[in-house]
Amino acid sequence: MTLILDILSTAAILFIVSAGLLAIFGVLKIINFAHGAWLTIGAYCAVVVAGLGINPWCALPLAFVVGAALGGLTEHFIVRPLYRRPLDAILATWGLGIVIGQLITLWFGRDVQFTPALLAGAVTAFDVTYSLYRLFAIVAALILGLGFAFLLDGTRLGLSARAVIMNETLARALGIDTEKVRLATFMSGTGLAALAGVLLAPLTSVDPNMGVAWLTGAFMLVMVAGSSFGALAAACLVFGAAQVLISIYFSPVVGGMAVAVLCAVTLRIRPKGFARA
Amino acid sequence: MLDRRNIRLILLATLAVSAVLLIVFGPTFLGRFSLNVLTRSMIYAMLAITVDLLWGYTGVLTFGQAAFFGIGAYATAMVLTHLGSSPAFFALALVVAILVPLIFGLAVGWLSFYHGSTPLYATVISLVVPIVVTQMVFSGGVWTGSSSGLVGYETLPLGLAGYFRLTGVCLAIFAVLAIVFVRSDAGRLLAAVRDNEARVAYLGMNPARLKIALTAVLAGVCGLAGFLFANASGVVAPENTGFVFGTELVVWTALGGRGTIVGPLFGAIGIDYLSANLSGDLPFLWQLIIGGLFVVMIILLPGGLASLVTRFLKVGGGETKLSATPMRPFDKRADDASLLSIRKLGKSYGALSVLKGIDLEIRAGELVSLVGPNGAGKTTLMRCLSDGREQVEGEVHILGRNIAGCTPQDIVALGVGRKFQVASIFDSMSIGECLKMARFSHQRPSPARSLAEIALPAPTVEILQLTGMAGMLDKPVSLLSHGQRQALELAMVVALQPRVILLDEPTAGLTKTERMTIGTILKRLTDEMGFAAILVEHDLDFVREISSRIVVLHQGKLVLDGTVEEVVNSETVRTIYSRGAHG
Repeated sequence: MTLILDILSTAAILFIVSAGLLAIFGVLKIINFAHGAWLTIGAYCAVVVAGLGINPWCALPLAFVVGAALGGLTEHFIVRPLYRRPLDAILATWGLGIVIGQLITLWFGRDVQFTPALLAGAVTAFDVTYSLYRLFAIVAALILGLGFAFLLDGTRLGLSARAVIMNETLARALGIDTEKVRLATFMSGTGLAALAGVLLAPLTSVDPNMGVAWLTGAFMLVMVAGSSFGALAAACLVFGAAQVLISIYFSPVVGGMAVAVLCAVTLRIRPKGFARA
Repeated sequence: MLDRRNIRLILLATLAVSAVLLIVFGPTFLGRFSLNVLTRSMIYAMLAITVDLLWGYTGVLTFGQAAFFGIGAYATAMVLTHLGSSPAFFALALVVAILVPLIFGLAVGWLSFYHGSTPLYATVISLVVPIVVTQMVFSGGVWTGSSSGLVGYETLPLGLAGYFRLTGVCLAIFAVLAIVFVRSDAGRLLAAVRDNEARVAYLGMNPARLKIALTAVLAGVCGLAGFLFANASGVVAPENTGFVFGTELVVWTALGGRGTIVGPLFGAIGIDYLSANLSGDLPFLWQLIIGGLFVVMIILLPGGLASLVTRFLKVGGGETKLSATPMRPFDKRADDASLLSIRKLGKSYGALSVLKGIDLEIRAGELVSLVGPNGAGKTTLMRCLSDGREQVEGEVHILGRNIAGCTPQDIVALGVGRKFQVASIFDSMSIGECLKMARFSHQRPSPARSLAEIALPAPTVEILQLTGMAGMLDKPVSLLSHGQRQALELAMVVALQPRVILLDEPTAGLTKTERMTIGTILKRLTDEMGFAAILVEHDLDFVREISSRIVVLHQGKLVLDGTVEEVVNSETVRTIYSRGAHG
């Protein structure tokens, strides 16, 4: 039972961390290598909120707004000139990641910080005691996933975004303002990343380079998932399970690289990854 | 007056002389700290050049060079720590430090590059590799020293000055080799792969194998750099193998100038040296400046700082010459058996059947036109003939050999050349260079020299003369008109000396005169030289004038196969086309 919960919550955390990256890659076909920096920004929002002494849950909306606002600026000044050069976009966003990391270091110092738990304690059910916060992560991932499903299938922005994913030239010819769709997508992607940073903060320590550790895992999962949130959820479950099982039964070190290696192998065998068709 | 060629030579000579002076006399005036840092910077510069050869020249963005470097460094340190440090073990360490990364590089290359792999996938792999290597180092226990690394092993007894000179010599040799290679004919092949990988394959070369070989050799160089590093610094740590270090290499290469050898060299040395000097005073600000500069550079000046210099030194107007090698016409009668035979060929995408039960024989000297309304399956048929890995029913035999499973380059080797609908040439090259690429499957390119005379089969030379391109071999293809691009691609395909040429709408968008020229060329190639040609064409007047046979495709089926008169006067064709025309 604990094992199942471990797998589910690990998958949930992976999903939360990668969702923002997927939103951007799915629509813009651009890999935001500053994704790690946005996770860090989110986590530091939690630190700031804790420092102000207000309710730690306030960090969630704050992080989303800060993340989306910075994302808007980034899209406009850095990503927009590079849509035709996707490999260069990886590099430019990586450079931006360095800049953000150093700015945070200058501001907050390079020391490790801790944030108060959003939900403390554990619950006991069916003779199993489990961390309440990790259970909450599963719920949060579900909300996020369903929220995205709604956003894509139920709203006008979602419809435009899907049109841009399928055929951007046609979408533009049909009068969809693709620039606006891109801006909105990038902002929601970065907002989500910052949100993920807040959720991540209580699970790990917060330091200026915390995002980098998560970046590669998220990147690999997104490569496998293509542009579908369903595929991302499936990939998180499969590779999250692999990570947990390998860590427990084999070695935590091998488990740590399981996601990256398995994703690479999956792509070699099946270049489309978990995406259909 | 000094022309640009001379300025370039003088600059290079000055660089070389100052490099030699610095290597010889550097240790006499540089302080301990500077010597130490510069030795390290020069090792990093070797890595930056490997990044540049892969990324700047071949178009493969890689973060993985740090891993090969780390393996080389760790292999050295592990041999010296655990086995001993007699001269024999130093030799062993050197061999292991080069061979292990080389073999690992082969494996990584095999994983990264296969037919149809995307550039992004190679980048993905290059991210995974350092992660895996770092994790292996962490889990290596006493063997690798885990997170604290290895330290305190015996190193080569060279002293500071000795290491400085040794590294300087290694870097200079590697840089010179790299410069000679990228300017040679074989080196231009890297740019060809970057520009247009599909065309390289359809010129009969294997781009994946080329990239795998390059990755492996450069991994060996990184291993050598690792050997130098492990000796010079006396310590190896997990950071040396990591992905973050891999990205730093890319940053230096980008700032210095990708696509030049000197740029990344100075980028790496300059930034690493400045970092060491400045990071004491402005620890975070310095990284901030580098990061910001990098972003701005990628957006505004993708060629890096070197592009500011090379922009003024571009050597224009070389004097490449043509020479025609006579080509014996293919014998039309000797083998009356068909060159290309298609039996019951069918192709479907899911439930949609595009081709059904096609039977067709092509003999030497024939010019067969494939006509039919849009969506009849003409281009699909061409693809099935030139790529054996398409999933098809039925069989295609070329010169008696079943092509099922053959890659495009295998089929080129069998004697089939394909000209695409949109001219597929190498956009960053000159006309002469494009033509050279087309001959490499017959004559291995030299890795050291760039030949000034291009020997081409006579029919190719004739195409170039007819279209007025024979006299401007050094003109960049980006300046060519649409018609000239089409003709150049045809010339490249003919230079392969194929038995069968596949042409997909070679005259689309051409003027009447250009069309007539192409028609004349095709007629001569088939009638006089004995090539066989299959031509997809919409213009029925054109088809009538040049074809020896016409095949009509309609809704994936072959409905007519006959002489020009038979087909043109056929009722079926009239109905198909009139129905097509009226919706």
